[in-house]
Amino acid sequence: MTKRRMFLRMITASLLRRRSRMLIALLSIGIGATILAGLVTIYVDVPRQVGAQFRSYGANMLLLPRDGETLSSEKLSETLQAFPEDTLVGAAPYRYVRLDMTTRQQSFTAAGTDFEQITKTSPYFSIEGAYPSETRQVLVGKEIADTIGVKIGSSMELTYQPVTSSSDRTPEESRVPGASLSGSAEGFGGGMVYASAVLDSEAKIASVTVDVSTQTPEYGGRIAEDEAFLSQLTGRSLPLSLGDGIDALSGATVTSLAVIDALNQATQTTAAAQPKTANFIVTGILTTGGEEEGYLFISLDDMKMMTGEDRLDVAELSVSANVEQLETYAEEIENRHGAVQARLVKRVARSEASVLEKLTALVFLVTLVVLLLTMICVSTTMMAVVSERRREIGLRKALGASDNSIRAEFLGEGLFLGALGGVLGAVLGFVFAQVVSINVFGSSIIFQPLLLPVTVIVSMVIAAVSCLLPIKHAVAIDPAIVLKGE
Amino acid sequence: MSLLELKNVSKIYGELKALDNVNIHVDQGEWVAIMGPSGSGKSTMMNIIGCMDKPTKGEVLLDGVDISKESSKRLTDIRRDKIGLIFQQFHMVNYLTAVENVMVSQYYHSMPDEQEALEALGRVGLRERARHLPSQLSGGEQQRVCVARALINHPELILADEPTGNLDEANENIVLDLFAQLHKEGTTLIVVTHDPEVAEAAQRTIVLEHGKVAREVINENFGK
Repeated sequence: MTKRRMFLRMITASLLRRRSRMLIALLSIGIGATILAGLVTIYVDVPRQVGAQFRSYGANMLLLPRDGETLSSEKLSETLQAFPEDTLVGAAPYRYVRLDMTTRQQSFTAAGTDFEQITKTSPYFSIEGAYPSETRQVLVGKEIADTIGVKIGSSMELTYQPVTSSSDRTPEESRVPGASLSGSAEGFGGGMVYASAVLDSEAKIASVTVDVSTQTPEYGGRIAEDEAFLSQLTGRSLPLSLGDGIDALSGATVTSLAVIDALNQATQTTAAAQPKTANFIVTGILTTGGEEEGYLFISLDDMKMMTGEDRLDVAELSVSANVEQLETYAEEIENRHGAVQARLVKRVARSEASVLEKLTALVFLVTLVVLLLTMICVSTTMMAVVSERRREIGLRKALGASDNSIRAEFLGEGLFLGALGGVLGAVLGFVFAQVVSINVFGSSIIFQPLLLPVTVIVSMVIAAVSCLLPIKHAVAIDPAIVLKGE
Repeated sequence: MSLLELKNVSKIYGELKALDNVNIHVDQGEWVAIMGPSGSGKSTMMNIIGCMDKPTKGEVLLDGVDISKESSKRLTDIRRDKIGLIFQQFHMVNYLTAVENVMVSQYYHSMPDEQEALEALGRVGLRERARHLPSQLSGGEQQRVCVARALINHPELILADEPTGNLDEANENIVLDLFAQLHKEGTTLIVVTHDPEVAEAAQRTIVLEHGKVAREVINENFGK
């Protein structure tokens, strides 16, 4: 038999045959290791847990079109590829327009969006009823619902009135093939004369309509029905001038000049000039406690149908990442897609980072305290063990054990206990962390395979450190105590 | 040839002279008893001979080496190599079996050898009890295990402190018989006792009184 085998035999015998005493030491290490393993697990898992919690407080990044650019659904999905898999919790697109409720002569801000994504980016939305699941359904903000008195199942007739204000283009810039132009000029007696023209594929006038209702009916007022006057304008390029093959209507020279003037100053108007009306069924009432309660929500498809455009004003993104990562993603998006602007919702991202920091600091502190308490506990137990075994230690020394042999034996027992307690702690600690996680965060925890070796090594180190003082006492025992005296 | 020699040895604790200028010698192979009432300095002498304490004054020669000035680490080595100890209260490691207790002594000395340890237990008549824990052995049996443990490393000197103090007469005789055997094999024995019967089993008795050697008695009936 080698010395090492005898050493192990003595240590295991000491632990196995003196069960009750060693069980206390094992228990103190085991409980310490359990709490440690549990806290470490939570510590490691906290960013994920808190991140998930924070994702329920809404989006932490916005994507917007840059000035003069547009953001389409297609462009959005292309942009979203910048995020690694699993980091993107949700991305809700929004298009905001005013919709008129003709029956009540009121207009509301309506958002076209993707309801499935809303449930992910804005999980705090509280819905009475349900999200729209089909086209021609609307989710109504609580404030609007209260004002106009709609209920789930009510019908709302909504109209989209295209914006017709003249664009910023100059008359010259407006004369492009296929454009619809309209302009005005002062006519006879100070009354306004309105004229519109549609250009053909060569940017020449295809047709002209005039509004001369302010002019004297017998004179200028005749121009609106005068085919001869209007037809001489078609086929020509703007600008026009009287005399150059264009004759003024006799007795209405001022009005004729005003019409030509109006056409020369005419600028482009939007193509979809037709208002669009549709009936929507209310499927749900939205309560958020915020400004969303003053909005109507319809599907993006309905929004496209109403406006005739595939345009987004903004996309709200919920990304599972810390501030630094978010900034990296934003930069990457802006570099790759010049037309898109990526902004962090600083309030959410920052508070997430600060809460996380505080929480990890707290867990770290508690871990440290538990570590210390465990050490004190194990040390006290080992101290009791040493004093209980004074005679045995004295005997071993009398039999010729050197101080180092005594150290090795107690350290060996300590390490053995530490290893055993560590395994116990790793298993129970995971259970503990799981229970805490389910109760506090409402979600289960991911098992860290590294936890087992780390816990075992840490408990062995704790046990070894805790044994230092007791070992010092053991070494100091005088072998002479085994002689008859005591 | 003397194995152990104390020259003018004194041990002083404050005012108390536990040993006062003691001179004794023990020859190789001799069986000596040390007697004396409580407080006569027996224990102090035992500690010094057993390399567990150092005298305040004087020389202690063990096997020709002066151990009175050695460091405690060195004393541990000498004790381990040259001395086998037997105690009044047996002192076994209570969670180790009889044979393991014998092996502990081998472990500190050199190499544990279970076979040799079992043979030593056989010598004291406990071969069958080798796998028992101390709590399963009688006092006499425990002391016999301790004798086996003391002789396992073939020490030059066996130092026994009241070896029969806690034993009944039958077991006392067994232990004394074992000592007689060891003596025949040439082992030097020093037995500290206050029991005249145990002292009479030895060749020579040194009587201590008040820290001094009061007298030495040669046992004329030795071996008879």
